[in-house]
Amino acid sequence: MNQTEPLNIPTYQKEDFASDQTPRWCPGCGDYSILAQLQRVMPAIAEQTQTPRENMVFISGIGCSSRFPYYMNTYGFHSIHGRAPTLALGLQVSRPELMTWVVTGDGDALSIGGNHLMHCLRRNLNVKILLFNNRIYGLTKGQYSPTSELGKRTKSSPLGSVARPLNPLSIALASQATFVARAVDRDPKLLQDVITQAALHKGSAIVEIYQNCNIFNDGAFAHVSERKSRDDNTLKLQHGEPLVFGRQRDKAVVLNEQLQPRVVATSEISESDLLIHDTSRDNSGLTYALSQLQYPEFPVPVGIFRALKAPTYEERVHQQVNEAKRQKPATALQQLLDSGETWRVAE
Amino acid sequence: MAYVVTEGCINCKQMDCVEVCPVDCFREGPNMLVIDPNECVDCTLCVPACPEKAIFRDGDVPVEQHQFVALNEEMAEVWELIDEKGDVPADASDWSGRVGKFEFLQR
Repeated sequence: MNQTEPLNIPTYQKEDFASDQTPRWCPGCGDYSILAQLQRVMPAIAEQTQTPRENMVFISGIGCSSRFPYYMNTYGFHSIHGRAPTLALGLQVSRPELMTWVVTGDGDALSIGGNHLMHCLRRNLNVKILLFNNRIYGLTKGQYSPTSELGKRTKSSPLGSVARPLNPLSIALASQATFVARAVDRDPKLLQDVITQAALHKGSAIVEIYQNCNIFNDGAFAHVSERKSRDDNTLKLQHGEPLVFGRQRDKAVVLNEQLQPRVVATSEISESDLLIHDTSRDNSGLTYALSQLQYPEFPVPVGIFRALKAPTYEERVHQQVNEAKRQKPATALQQLLDSGETWRVAE
Repeated sequence: MAYVVTEGCINCKQMDCVEVCPVDCFREGPNMLVIDPNECVDCTLCVPACPEKAIFRDGDVPVEQHQFVALNEEMAEVWELIDEKGDVPADASDWSGRVGKFEFLQR
């Protein structure tokens, strides 16, 4: 935080971020793609943020996704279930110059860790959260997760899940996260771009990554990841651009008179009726509505939903402490102990 | 870091790897496939899928096949993406398991 001298950052290559551990996920897992794309963009992120590798930390909880820190040649914690945000908070407040990442999954972040995720986001801690959503518990071999769809048959729901799924990005927006985005494991360019933007964001950044579990939930996101259909089934959010999608870019998402979203052909409406995406919208109404769009009725929005500038939690903590120190200079400890209300216990 | 298609693929080209690759990183030449090292994510799924056992991690490529590491990188820039299995060459079985096929590579 008090670093004023420019650091001498070496020029990194992708390989510099790969540890000596061979990744161990099931062959074909989407996690391999996420790891590869992250390692590909880390050299540029290090350069742009002037963060040396030794100032980067990856903190995970429990689950397949949480093996991530082993494979990054940075510092890292493989911590306890759902608690990665709490470790990130302690670390980031005491060492604000670090670049802290949390790697988590739909089970870790939204079941046992749901509470911690929400509070981490509302505090605007400067942390980048990568939430791998595969809509299943993979590590424990295929039970329904908080994001499993209604009716989903799994080992723990043989007749179909009777619980409605959580929407991670709706929760993130409602928790006032200042950076909210979605990417897909099989769209490397989008994933690289979103991860980079999250890394450059100052404050709580959460990226939901649709990740295929090819063993226990294969094809859960096929509609948005297959090369042939993804342009028709996804809405690529770009700041300042209209909400237009489709291979021919001939469809648009608009709001009707009741402010409900609907899909129209661009030929049916005038250009001035198109909604323009604005990531700086503080009022979350329209952004929230975007996060609620579900396939097949609507295209799935991907890219950056929101990116706001706001003071971070650690900035506010240090500001408060420094201000208190300024108003009341440091006193000897013994003097402090003797200064308050003291009393003698009768013998 | 990437996987590499080696000699075994030449004139056999079974293309089972293409069916399983989650990131569509295979490129198709006239009688062989290669992996684009900039797209491969090291997921290992193609290795057991290949009936010719022609795919290796770049660090594990047999010494006599080292030229294929550079070849994959070079031809990935030239050849077109393949994401669906096509017709297997009619004489593929005649070429299966043969060594010294590099001279038959068509670019």
